[in-house]
Amino acid sequence: MADHRRNTYKEDEILEEPFDFKHLLRASVYIKKYAGKMLFAMTLSGIGGAVGLLAPMINQQALDIAIPNKDKDMLFRLVIFLVIIYVTSVIFATIRSRIMVKVSQNIIFDIRTDIFAHLQKLPFQYYDDRPHGKILIRVVNYVNSVSDMLSNGLINVILEIFNLIFIIIFMFIVDVKLSLVVMAGVPVLFVFMMWIKNRQRKAWQAVSNKNSNLNAYLQENIVGARITQIFAREDENADIFQVLSERCRKSWMKAVEYSNLVWPGIDGISVFVRAAIYFTGLLIIGQGNVTLGTIVAVSSYAARFWQPIMNLGNIFNNFINNIAYLERIFETLDEPVTVDDAPDAGDMPPIRGKVTFENVTFAYEPGKNVLKNVSFTVEPGESVALVGPTGAGKSTIVNLISRFYNVTEGRVLIDDQDISQVTLHSLRSQMGIMLQDSFIFSGTIEDNIRYGKLDASRDEIVRASQTVCANDFIMRMPDGYSTEVKERGSLLSQGQKQLISFARTLLSDPAILVLDEATSSIDVQTERNLQQGLNAMLKGRTSFIIAHRLSTIKNCDKIMYIDDGGIVECGTHEELMAKKGFYYKLYTAQMENIA
Amino acid sequence: MKTFPKTKLAWLWEQMEGCRFIYILGIFGTVVYNGLQLTIPHFSSKIVDNFLSGEEAAANLANHRDQFLMLLGAMIGLTLLRVVIVYFVCMDFEMVSQKVLFRVRNYLFNKIERQDMKFYATYRTGDLMTRVTGDLDAVRHMVAWVVRMITEACALVGATSIYFFIMDWRLALALVAIGPVILFVIILFKKQVAPLHKLLREKLAQLNTDAQENISGNRVVKAFAREDYEIEKFDRCNKDYSQTNQKTALTWITYFPFIETAANLLPVVLLVVGGLFLINDQLTMGQFVAFSGLTWAIANPMRQLGSIMNEFQRFDAASYKVMEIYYSQPSIHDPEDPVPHPGRFEGKVEFKNVSFEYQDDEADGPILRNISFTANPGETIAIMGETGCGKTTLIQLIPRFYDPYEGEVLIDGINVKRFTLKELRKNIGLATQDVLLYSDTIDGNIAYGDSSLSSENVTKYARYSAASEFIAKMPEGYDTIVGERGVGLSGGQKQRISLARALAIRPSILILDDTTSAVDLETEKHIQDSLKHLDFPCTKIIIAQRISTTKNADKILILENGRITEAGTHEELIAKHGYYYEAVQLQMGAEEAERRA
Repeated sequence: MADHRRNTYKEDEILEEPFDFKHLLRASVYIKKYAGKMLFAMTLSGIGGAVGLLAPMINQQALDIAIPNKDKDMLFRLVIFLVIIYVTSVIFATIRSRIMVKVSQNIIFDIRTDIFAHLQKLPFQYYDDRPHGKILIRVVNYVNSVSDMLSNGLINVILEIFNLIFIIIFMFIVDVKLSLVVMAGVPVLFVFMMWIKNRQRKAWQAVSNKNSNLNAYLQENIVGARITQIFAREDENADIFQVLSERCRKSWMKAVEYSNLVWPGIDGISVFVRAAIYFTGLLIIGQGNVTLGTIVAVSSYAARFWQPIMNLGNIFNNFINNIAYLERIFETLDEPVTVDDAPDAGDMPPIRGKVTFENVTFAYEPGKNVLKNVSFTVEPGESVALVGPTGAGKSTIVNLISRFYNVTEGRVLIDDQDISQVTLHSLRSQMGIMLQDSFIFSGTIEDNIRYGKLDASRDEIVRASQTVCANDFIMRMPDGYSTEVKERGSLLSQGQKQLISFARTLLSDPAILVLDEATSSIDVQTERNLQQGLNAMLKGRTSFIIAHRLSTIKNCDKIMYIDDGGIVECGTHEELMAKKGFYYKLYTAQMENIA
Repeated sequence: MKTFPKTKLAWLWEQMEGCRFIYILGIFGTVVYNGLQLTIPHFSSKIVDNFLSGEEAAANLANHRDQFLMLLGAMIGLTLLRVVIVYFVCMDFEMVSQKVLFRVRNYLFNKIERQDMKFYATYRTGDLMTRVTGDLDAVRHMVAWVVRMITEACALVGATSIYFFIMDWRLALALVAIGPVILFVIILFKKQVAPLHKLLREKLAQLNTDAQENISGNRVVKAFAREDYEIEKFDRCNKDYSQTNQKTALTWITYFPFIETAANLLPVVLLVVGGLFLINDQLTMGQFVAFSGLTWAIANPMRQLGSIMNEFQRFDAASYKVMEIYYSQPSIHDPEDPVPHPGRFEGKVEFKNVSFEYQDDEADGPILRNISFTANPGETIAIMGETGCGKTTLIQLIPRFYDPYEGEVLIDGINVKRFTLKELRKNIGLATQDVLLYSDTIDGNIAYGDSSLSSENVTKYARYSAASEFIAKMPEGYDTIVGERGVGLSGGQKQRISLARALAIRPSILILDDTTSAVDLETEKHIQDSLKHLDFPCTKIIIAQRISTTKNADKILILENGRITEAGTHEELIAKHGYYYEAVQLQMGAEEAERRA
């Protein structure tokens, strides 16, 4: 937090973690759940593989015995046996694939569910600090990438390792010296892999970073297409995008430059090993210690020895590539939930509406206090207006009531209960907050309003809309309440969006109502009508209203003039007018301006 | 289904322009390394036969050592050659696929950027992002992998079949007879899996859209404590996607046993038919071994066929979504014979009998009806009216976000449709209602329309819009990065930065769409003052709810239900005792007005 700086599409997100397989270890959480199934699938593969090994033996029998003896019956018997073997291994392989498809899809599902659920817990700050495209790519693209590694990749690694061990044992039983020759390739391979590993890892991290940057820029530009057009910046943005796109391309090419080396590299080493066997074999034969049969056997084992190694190499490749994504996923999952339920938090009892700030100090960034020592008490049912210059801290105060941020010092109490000691859900579900940015989800208008109360009937929705004067314009829309509003409510005017989000808030029937510039884009006439409905609404509820049009707040029980992170004046309209202080100045200025 | 000017493969070929030659070289290389793959075992088996396992091995070794070394050398040399070719072929395919990806990605970005409003209303952000990322990746994969695999399969099967037929056509025929069966199975598979791939693309887009909206709307989610609901909703998308994925993969698995059995049938057929031939002395042992040593070259491609078909269908479904954007044409575009070099506009804006309605809106009647007014250079026009009366639509006709269906919008006496969009919009500074800032520094945001803007000028325009003071108080001043959509700033602060951004391009026409609604009054007054004393000539069209903003305008237009019902100066309209008069009354507070009256 000390070095707090927001991330943009221009910079890579830093990740200071050396590579290790601990990410895989950690991923075992997701695998454990399916360990039984995976073990079963692995056993099937093992048996299938073992049964498959019988096929060459049958072939041999046919060629060595049946055919030279011209024994057609035996040939047919052997063929039937062969068919049985193949059918069995196909059945096993099919069952394994079936199981693993489900397992791998379930693993993706689990990881994605977790990352999404964790994102829901993360505070505003997390979303404020990075482009949303960078969050999105983790939830969707990265999770997609890692599933195969965690399911089939893992099983194959284990199978191949078993395979390898068996072959090594067989090889050593046949001949130790030649086996050592075969194994001589391993250290070479090891050095090769180590050399490649570090480069590859960096390269794939770069790929993930560059893609993340591209995604961030892309998202911002899709959302902001209108701004681009109005500033006629299409060409410039296309250039920037091209640069980002080029970086993606370059980083990818760099990464595959190494990745593509793995397979040919191992293949090359294995050929040298084969040649070495022939060569040493011949040398040893001269001394009469080794039979020709042994050489043939070992050289065929050598081929079998390198096959699993090559497969392992490919899997390894895949791992390195995907760990670059996996570590980003875990990074998100590790993101601390700074605003979280206290360990022994209970539910907030039904709120009556008393709100108290006790010496509250707050800073978004350490050392930069936005609120300084703010104290006040609001009695249940009171309406409080917050006025003052922009950036004075008004929104911050109301954000603290809902505990969108933790206070730096002091306490916020509702009904004398410290809100940091109750569950967030029980607190926020009793509050109605209308934010400055009235976000509209895609879906019908009805759905958007219903967001405030999920089980609301159509009647309740219409009533809430009538209260905020939204019913009229909604009824004028092509499909009334069922009209689909597109993302972020395009085709709705800003004022209409505000009315819809107002209805949404009212519907939630909050004990405490917070209106942060809720009506700024609504015309005065509509606002007047709205005010009447609102007054009825406000009765009995504590409410906090931030507004610049003072006519809308004059009737509040209490008006607080906020400036420079503190309450400068507090009182009723009449009291503050009589005081002839900041509020008075503000009010008279406004009236003069109009007149 | 839309039809496109080109088929998917022809389109893909078009995208390879400039690297077609090396691509074909790569395909050729694939054939070569597969050929080597087939011939190298020949050398090693010769070594084994002649020098290791044969009866005369010891003698051969003693007498033909040079031949042994030559064979060994050939084996190593050819393998190294193969390995090198494989590497370069892989890189070749990667390079071309990345070029195609790069090219199409940039093209799509360009396309998306230049679309009309209808496009943005049709395609959601998450959907578009899926097309540019996930869907496009399927196209890349086609170029990088699928084509190589198809080539490999064809090369292996082709070469081996020819070899088989030359050796013994009857046995070869017996083995190849499985081919049509496999083809039939694969076609059945294709029929069943193709719609699933289409569905899968939809589900992926859905997932992306849902996640993206949730992230963008995170504040609302928290405000309503709807985390559980969101998780549930996302769960459905997630499950949907995951299950469609499963279904797609399982479809292959229902066909997999058939293909796998068919592939396994090859050695069985070989053993039966070949064995009988051997018994009847119609085939030599050497031929039989050669056959059996190469059955993999037919069996393996057969096994690959399923995943190749799967990937091909994925490409098919994904490329459709990519091409949909690729070939989309915005209805608002540059004219064919634009006014040449119009330069800076004088700033006269004229609406002549303009009517407008959204194309697909069957709601009752047009949004704007018979709008006529003139704003002379340097004048300030204020527009006022009820929520949803058409104010924003009206001003959006000037930079041509929409075109009117009747009447014309003129600037300096020329219809706006006759300018190129760039020339037109370069002259217009618009600060929208819904302020959208970029996750960039404040400096970068203000200089958005003119990246070459000096920092003194950035400061100047920030001062004009009363933003310099709060910016100075920020931790890193103008270098402070504001989060996406300007989070971390209050509504009023965002509005002021957006105003500075609009001023910074020194537009000849400045349009403010309720830009100061969240700004406190004192600040607003400051802004009004600086707007009066801008250091460049400028016509101002201002949508506002506040009387304080409108009262000094040269002309005030009242818009009701898409029509201009009142027009005149502050005094004139007050005298009229209409909508405007009422608004003034309301804002002053009734009693205040009475007292003053």
